[in-house]
Amino acid sequence: MITAERPTRASRVACYSLPTLIVPLTVATTAMGGRLIVHLAAPAGDGRAKHDARRLLSRIGCWADRLSRHLEASELSALNADSRTRVPIGPTLAAALWAAREAADESEGFVDITLLDARLAAEGLSFAELAAGVRRSWSLESGPRRTAVVSRPPGVRFDLGGVAKGWLADRALVLLSSWPSAVVDADGDLSVRCRAGDTWAVALDDPRADGATLAIFHLSAPATGWSVQWGVATSGTSVHRWRRGEILHHHLIDPRTGAPARTDVVQATVVCGSALRAEALAKAAVIAGSTDGLALLERAGVKGAVILTESGETLALPQTLTLLAG
Amino acid sequence: MAKPSSASHAGSPGRLDELFQVPGARPDPTRARLVLGVAGIAALSALITAIAVPPAPVASTVVNMPTAPTMVTQQRPIVYVQLTPGQSPPPGATVIDAKAPKPITIVTRVPAPAQRAVVVRTTQSGKVIP
Repeated sequence: MITAERPTRASRVACYSLPTLIVPLTVATTAMGGRLIVHLAAPAGDGRAKHDARRLLSRIGCWADRLSRHLEASELSALNADSRTRVPIGPTLAAALWAAREAADESEGFVDITLLDARLAAEGLSFAELAAGVRRSWSLESGPRRTAVVSRPPGVRFDLGGVAKGWLADRALVLLSSWPSAVVDADGDLSVRCRAGDTWAVALDDPRADGATLAIFHLSAPATGWSVQWGVATSGTSVHRWRRGEILHHHLIDPRTGAPARTDVVQATVVCGSALRAEALAKAAVIAGSTDGLALLERAGVKGAVILTESGETLALPQTLTLLAG
Repeated sequence: MAKPSSASHAGSPGRLDELFQVPGARPDPTRARLVLGVAGIAALSALITAIAVPPAPVASTVVNMPTAPTMVTQQRPIVYVQLTPGQSPPPGATVIDAKAPKPITIVTRVPAPAQRAVVVRTTQSGKVIP
């Protein structure tokens, strides 16, 4: 047993330096049921920047089409429709599934891509309830030329969800290696590279009002040093939500129950080293709830985290303050 | 007439004046050596002082600048004690299960963002940005 008391003290943190922020060239499109944006630190009329951004968006769009469960022709849909327990898959889907395994580990199991049927059941689109105790473990074996073979119990279907977005953002940023300061925004999951001396301003959306901002992060790299890569992702229950009878449901399934998570967290934003990791940890924090979620983020050693609770309280880990613009 | 020899002046300090007054004599390096020596010692001393002693705060003039943003945060450090088996909690103490997450410090108020347009934005998936 542990006894506890919670004293309160106030501290002041002052910010005196106002960095020069990047005003980027932005090119956007839609994919994965959301937005896909590239921001480059380049002058507004830079033709090479526009060309590179458009070419990248086209390529990401192709990847996204292979990983979507909403497209019947996608590799993921083909895998889900395959009745075999061992299925060979192509390089893109293999890479995304490897990323999903990493996300599961990072999130201490809260990110589970085998919950498609549970989500469809929550939406009323499927009657395949997730039976408690059913084994949903799956594995990957590397094949030739970056292909792989998926092994899974019969009936297990995958939904990559945010994992695909985080992975796509990180992968796309690698392809922009000729741009020292760049951001890839895969429907809210950001992969950010910052050249030494540069600062990106990243607004954190406030879900309580359209266009409102909960906070602004300043992500920078020291003037004398190497460029820095950041990952920023936001997850929450206030966008994808619906009412069934008297009960309000949302899309984040708790793998412990197979049902929409019962949580006091409306939205969680995480800043760390990659978009994939940030996405996994933000989702985990929402599903786990504010107390367990903050503890999980602390253990994960994130660079920053902001959580908005149902009661309207905004919580943050202390290290977040060094990233927040006043 | 003294010999204008560079070898003749260095060994005997008592003959310096005499040597300096000799017309046509080569410039005596002693004075230059003294000056260089003193300057070297002074430079070395200044260097050592600069390395060893951090610069003292410089009094600044107040300039009319925009007020620096100040973040006021409130933290909730949690103090707790672990009871060993057989111990009882103090009267009135809140008891937390041992399996509860380890207490951490959180910030309960983050600074209000400045009212300016920021292009890069993180949102929940599917959120339409107006």
